[in-house]
Amino acid sequence: MDQMYPLPAARWASGNIPDNVTVGLNTLITGPKAFQRFRGTRQPALVIGQHCTLDGVSLAINPQGFVQIGDYCAFYGSIILCELEVRIGQGVVMGWNTVISDSDFHPTEPAERLADAIACSMLAAGRPRRAYPSRPVVIGDDVYVGHAATILKGVTVGAGAIIEPGAMVTRDVPAGMRVMGNPAQLIGPAEEEP
Amino acid sequence: MIDRTLRQFDGDWEPVSVPNNVQIDESAYVYSAAAFELCRSDAPVAVRLGRGSQVNDGTLFDVGPLGHVEVGEGGMLNAVCILCDAGISIGDYTMISWSVVLMDTYRFSLNVDHRRDELRALPFRDPRRSLGRAPARPITIGGNVWIGFDAIVLPGVTIGEGSIVGARSVVAEDVPPYTIVAGNPARPVRRFTHQEVQP
Repeated sequence: MDQMYPLPAARWASGNIPDNVTVGLNTLITGPKAFQRFRGTRQPALVIGQHCTLDGVSLAINPQGFVQIGDYCAFYGSIILCELEVRIGQGVVMGWNTVISDSDFHPTEPAERLADAIACSMLAAGRPRRAYPSRPVVIGDDVYVGHAATILKGVTVGAGAIIEPGAMVTRDVPAGMRVMGNPAQLIGPAEEEP
Repeated sequence: MIDRTLRQFDGDWEPVSVPNNVQIDESAYVYSAAAFELCRSDAPVAVRLGRGSQVNDGTLFDVGPLGHVEVGEGGMLNAVCILCDAGISIGDYTMISWSVVLMDTYRFSLNVDHRRDELRALPFRDPRRSLGRAPARPITIGGNVWIGFDAIVLPGVTIGEGSIVGARSVVAEDVPPYTIVAGNPARPVRRFTHQEVQP
């Protein structure tokens, strides 16, 4: 393996990384919108490991959210929407336009949703938001997430799993398995050709 | 290393160089040289654009060291993302819509150990780009094919002549000629009759 010592400090090509974000050495973040929707208030709200390549990402973390990303991850244009908690293991690859969301961000029931929409509108006049479902997302080590795949709230993806491009993942994916489709279905072990 | 020369197209303001192994027919249209920014193939011909073909705004040829892309006569690419480490061939008068992804490679091996090795090497490269060594299987798209927006065509797929791929489909299996497929994963919806094919 190539090496370089001392390892360069973490860097974001478009500005300063927020204070409550911990990033490991030799991690490179690019994309002007990486922290545009970062509103995390926890200490820390985001922990990123070493040697990661987060290219064109959007890390949209709400005030109470916490996101952890392991070492040696490679994300390309990925969007992480976090209300509660998203944990991503080591050596995870995420293709272009992948979305991970641990919340619905609005209630589903019509009356509640209307009240929430009013609270979100310009006419809110201090009305409080309504509760909406959020459940943590956990992605194990060595997972591969293909282009434009979506992983929704409450999903746990087991280590070494392959999420095919375009998959809509609404349920847990067992370790070492491969899923595709909308909704995502098991199509076999991770290494078998489709 | 393939030489690159600054080639400007009509109305193009992007100061991007185009590799010399990109062959563009005189009658072909290219919106911007930016389409070839990630074209880094060492093949004798990295990209060949046929007579009267169009490469419109937003199209990206992300062609790795061993990749080769062929666009037939009158082929139309509208903001198509082409990830190629083996070969992608697009037939005559085939129309491809916006945000379609044609990928003949997953860019990382699907074998966990190989993927881990690649991820350990990647952060020590400058720029941090794939070496195009992950397994890749060529894509062949016939003539007179129409691919709807946001569709994804996976490695190894062949799409037969005259077929249609519905918007947002994910094509994992071969599509026979004169067939409409749709869905994720894409399934045949119907076949054109002989009368429809040859009226």
